[in-house]
Amino acid sequence: MHDAAETVSARLAAPLDEAGLIRAAQRGDQDAFERLVRTYDQSVLRVAMNLLRSPEEARDVYQEAFLKVYRNLHTFRFDCSFHTWLYRIVTNICLDHLRRRKVRKEESTLLDTSEGVVDRAAQLEEEGAHSNPERQMWNRELAGKIDGALSALTPRERTVFELRHYEGLRLRAIGEIIGTTEEAAKNCLFRATQKMRSSLEAFI
Amino acid sequence: MSCHEIGREISLYCYGEVSSEVEERVEAHLAECSDCRHELARHRAFLELIDQREDVTDASLLSACRVGLRNAMHEDAKPAHQRWLESLRSFAHLDIPFRIPVGAMALIALGFFGARFTPARFGGAQAGLAEPMFSSVRSVEPEASGKVQIAVDEVRRHVVTGTLQDPAIQGLLLTAVREESNPGVREESIGVLQNGGDSAEVRKALTDALTHDPSAAVRLKALEGLKSYAGDPSVRKTLADVLLKDDDPGVRVQAIDLLTAHHDDSIVGVLQDVVQKEDNSYVRTRTTQLLEEMKASVGTY
Repeated sequence: MHDAAETVSARLAAPLDEAGLIRAAQRGDQDAFERLVRTYDQSVLRVAMNLLRSPEEARDVYQEAFLKVYRNLHTFRFDCSFHTWLYRIVTNICLDHLRRRKVRKEESTLLDTSEGVVDRAAQLEEEGAHSNPERQMWNRELAGKIDGALSALTPRERTVFELRHYEGLRLRAIGEIIGTTEEAAKNCLFRATQKMRSSLEAFI
Repeated sequence: MSCHEIGREISLYCYGEVSSEVEERVEAHLAECSDCRHELARHRAFLELIDQREDVTDASLLSACRVGLRNAMHEDAKPAHQRWLESLRSFAHLDIPFRIPVGAMALIALGFFGARFTPARFGGAQAGLAEPMFSSVRSVEPEASGKVQIAVDEVRRHVVTGTLQDPAIQGLLLTAVREESNPGVREESIGVLQNGGDSAEVRKALTDALTHDPSAAVRLKALEGLKSYAGDPSVRKTLADVLLKDDDPGVRVQAIDLLTAHHDDSIVGVLQDVVQKEDNSYVRTRTTQLLEEMKASVGTY
């Protein structure tokens, strides 16, 4: 029992050898797959949540993305980094959600309730905000404006902006993820930034 | 570098996404131009402002996602026949009056498809019998002689090889298109079937997949297979329905491209509906063009 516990803790303490984990997971090692998931799942959920601003959709994206990884890991040939491969899957699913939302004009987080229109994302933010009422109000107004500005971007611009500004990925990596050149990602980021700035000019 | 050029580079400069050469030129310009320094300060204020957007993910959502994923993976790991049996079992628990007749029909269908999979039916096809994939002990009976008689139910994989002209192979492909739980297999089956020559049954399988398959990739494959039948009025009617009802823009785009190859007055009404309801600008434009080519009005008025 003691030995087993030691083995587990030694395994957890071992430096993360990503390639080794991937190979083990490719051979069907469930523990290795779980460790891979745990390495990346917070950032996957954050990207999905920030892009879609809907906990339900973010949960769907999380599940669909990792199931795709689970089913297709045997096809991963180390041609790119696992991180890029995973983000490519996640952003493609998010882009599908954003495009579908745009096509059907199901506008993001606004809920029509008996008490008027409520922004679900703003509600979520409010729950985690400070107790200062003025600060809360400012946060809510600003959050609404930022979300509004982000919603006005095209799905592609929004994805590039989210990955560069909020996730801190380099444009070269973003280009690889969304299947375009670094130059095209640059142009996309420039357009997105211009649009965002002009929407938020009053707050600057 | 002019002030105009700086305006374009500033956002990339702030992210550290310009080359060292451009960076030097931007900095040289900024050292001499107070307007551009002001613009840089405003851009940095904008970046700080949007940093105030709070992260809306919380620990409970992450936990829920992890639990959901574990369950989904557990389901995924089960063999297809086990998932099918479980869904049948949950159906059997439903307390509905038509359960018994429907159950009886399901058993008849099971017998029918079971018979189709019997090796003897394969005729010219070569069937190889693999090791059991799944087995369960049905009963154990000790005999007086000291031996034990054990009844085992086994599910085995048959490997069947044959040409597309072989009715047994074609039958299996048609079954796979409709029955198989794996969309990848359905897509592959459609791809193979469409090369197997024209037959009413193949055409029907492709039309059914196009209208009913939950996977957009399978529907697209079915559309590809229907290309050569786009002149057939019943196929065109299906394509028009797809154009109106399919929720995948990619499928609708392919459908309108097939429809534009032929002019058919009987679908004018549907096309007019599409123009009114379609959100995808490409599909709308193509539909409008098609109506104009057919000398039909674009709206129903």
